[in-house]
Amino acid sequence: MKINQTILGFMKKEFIQALRDPRMRMLLFVAPIIQMTLFGVAISSDVKNIRLSTQFHSNDSILQHVYDRSIESKWFIPAKTKSNDPFIQLNSNEADAVLVPPPGGLTNSVVRGHGEIQLLINATNVLRAQSVETYMNAILKSVIQKDMHKVENAPPLQFDLRILYNPTIKTSVFMVPGVMSTLICLITITLTGMSISKEKETGTFEMLLSAPSRKWEIILGKTLPYVILGISNVPLILGVAVLVFNVPMRGSFFVLLVSSFVFVCTTVSIGTLISIMTKTQQQSMMASFLFLFPAIQLSGLTFPLENMPIYMKFLAYLNPLTYFLELLRNIMLKGGDTRVILTHLIVLILMGTILITISFKKFKNTLG
Amino acid sequence: MKFSRVMAIAKKEVFHIIRDPFTLALALLLPVMMVSIFGLAIEFNVQNIKIAVFDEDRTTSSRKLLDTLSSSHYFLINPAKNQIEAIHLVDQQKDRAALIIEKNFEYNLFSGRGAKAQLMIDGSDNSTVGSVLSYFGSMQKIAFEKIAAKKLPTDVHLKTRFIYNPELNSRWFIVPGLMVVVLAILSILLTSLTIAREYENGSMELLLSTPVRSLEIVLGKLTPYIGLGLSAVLFVYIIARVFFEVPFLGNHFVFLTGCFLFLSTCLAQGLLISVTTRKQQISMQISMMTGLLPSLLLSGFIFPIESMPLFFRGLTAILPVRWFMNISRDVFLEGSGLYELKYDFLALLLICSVIVFLASKKFKRDVEP
Repeated sequence: MKINQTILGFMKKEFIQALRDPRMRMLLFVAPIIQMTLFGVAISSDVKNIRLSTQFHSNDSILQHVYDRSIESKWFIPAKTKSNDPFIQLNSNEADAVLVPPPGGLTNSVVRGHGEIQLLINATNVLRAQSVETYMNAILKSVIQKDMHKVENAPPLQFDLRILYNPTIKTSVFMVPGVMSTLICLITITLTGMSISKEKETGTFEMLLSAPSRKWEIILGKTLPYVILGISNVPLILGVAVLVFNVPMRGSFFVLLVSSFVFVCTTVSIGTLISIMTKTQQQSMMASFLFLFPAIQLSGLTFPLENMPIYMKFLAYLNPLTYFLELLRNIMLKGGDTRVILTHLIVLILMGTILITISFKKFKNTLG
Repeated sequence: MKFSRVMAIAKKEVFHIIRDPFTLALALLLPVMMVSIFGLAIEFNVQNIKIAVFDEDRTTSSRKLLDTLSSSHYFLINPAKNQIEAIHLVDQQKDRAALIIEKNFEYNLFSGRGAKAQLMIDGSDNSTVGSVLSYFGSMQKIAFEKIAAKKLPTDVHLKTRFIYNPELNSRWFIVPGLMVVVLAILSILLTSLTIAREYENGSMELLLSTPVRSLEIVLGKLTPYIGLGLSAVLFVYIIARVFFEVPFLGNHFVFLTGCFLFLSTCLAQGLLISVTTRKQQISMQISMMTGLLPSLLLSGFIFPIESMPLFFRGLTAILPVRWFMNISRDVFLEGSGLYELKYDFLALLLICSVIVFLASKKFKRDVEP
């Protein structure tokens, strides 16, 4: 097979251009590792350090136990309060949750047989508020059972819970595939989004067109280097995931690499298309943002997709990131299910093909 | 520093903005679009979760358990032939959880040994695990009461009041936060190319040969974009109030001050990036990296800051978006004033001055790279 010299020359030029600047090399190879580590450690969806306050009556031993148990559980920390009014405590941001016992105290009301206690929660963060209620319910139940000397008989009906693929409920295992896919998408789009519009802005595009190179040679020469750069990030990011966070890698590395390759091709085509359709680098950047923000939001990284209205679901399933995220979760955590991998890969390949075809068509039109 | 020179730079920048209608339209419409679309789309109260069920017991009790689950509207039941198939359905992402009701379920339930049903939840999707867990927790008691047709005694009843958002409306939680995230990224992006572009085009040489000072250039470049950002805020505010009916309990003046400070900070961050890199492509990469993911993930928008390890909680303090997230939510929902939010405002002011100072300091009066 004869290797096309034009494309080779083109690729060489792109590589030199992309890697010439040492800052660019940092951004390409060091920044993803830092980001991966940062987001893997920092974010978690479980709730800790909720500032809890309460009002003690004298001799209210059960309430004291509930409070102590809450603090011991690490979910809650004591709130430093100046005022006694629970509403003022919440409003002045001294506490996130306040336990308000009935008049006469919690112990009294439990002994009398109709125990009741009020919990006020700052619900500006809905997810946090819901977790706080669940935690407090559990604490309350176990403390009262112990304090009232009830035999700890098992509840008559019990669900024997197991979290598949992540039995110890490690947050990093939940988050890392999501952050990985988002990072790869971000890197490839920002790399390619400006590749052609930059040439248009600096005027070198005209020289390109006047050279004896064909359309598909220009497009391939412009995209292949970025596919390679994008792919070279995968082992780096995966290395951090597996070595630093001990995220299991249950499926085959080869399948993961193939999926990443297909995904990188798709995002590089999106970037190229953006670059072809825009005239200046500023426009390319805005257009990249117009793609990236919805893509990340609709991928299932932070919000469940199941619940979205039907038209949003439609959009979510036009989003390549959704498929790649599901692929990563499936391959890394579940070990890879052949049917899922095949269907998702086919969809990604289809998207990539369509996008490249559009780029091809659009490229011709701007020649004039 | 001369005010007239600042205005001259600002005027020139306005021409730049108007000349590029695509960017102008995006700057004004993008926040509105994003907030309306995602305000509608994001819903945390997950419903119709598909679960694969293998009922080995096949008794009245096990059927009643399934009835309770399906009539709660939280679950859609998908029967499986055996345990292996049920788990396989989860592997294939067809179902979110597998429920295995073992033989003797009914017998164990009424003989007092405690009946158990195995529940395996798909732990690969972080966005749904929490809700599935908490739903099943509440189902446990309801299902027993339905099967046994008697009430379980309760020792204590926890009455919860959700202050500031009594119905736990996802929109009230999402919209004021989403607004902050979108504005943050947009403002960083808007200015991040402005100075790099002048270096690349060579027009920076012209600008530097005039008597204008670096602080004047920085302020002059910021002013028109602050105006642009504030108009975007106005649109988003109208959408939030009229379309999503998010309550606004605070003071508009406090909110406006916050917006002004926040926009200035983010725009200045973009300028700082632009001044330091002098290359549009690198500017874009740095802005996307420091803007997009930190604003989404480290701002407290979804993932609470107080759950982060101590070091990272400290680290988020340098992000303007983390402080304005507090201001926006508290002013909208809690009606907080300047006094309650004094630390947030001070932090924003401090970050803003530091960045503006750095940007004009970094702005060397030469064209050498």
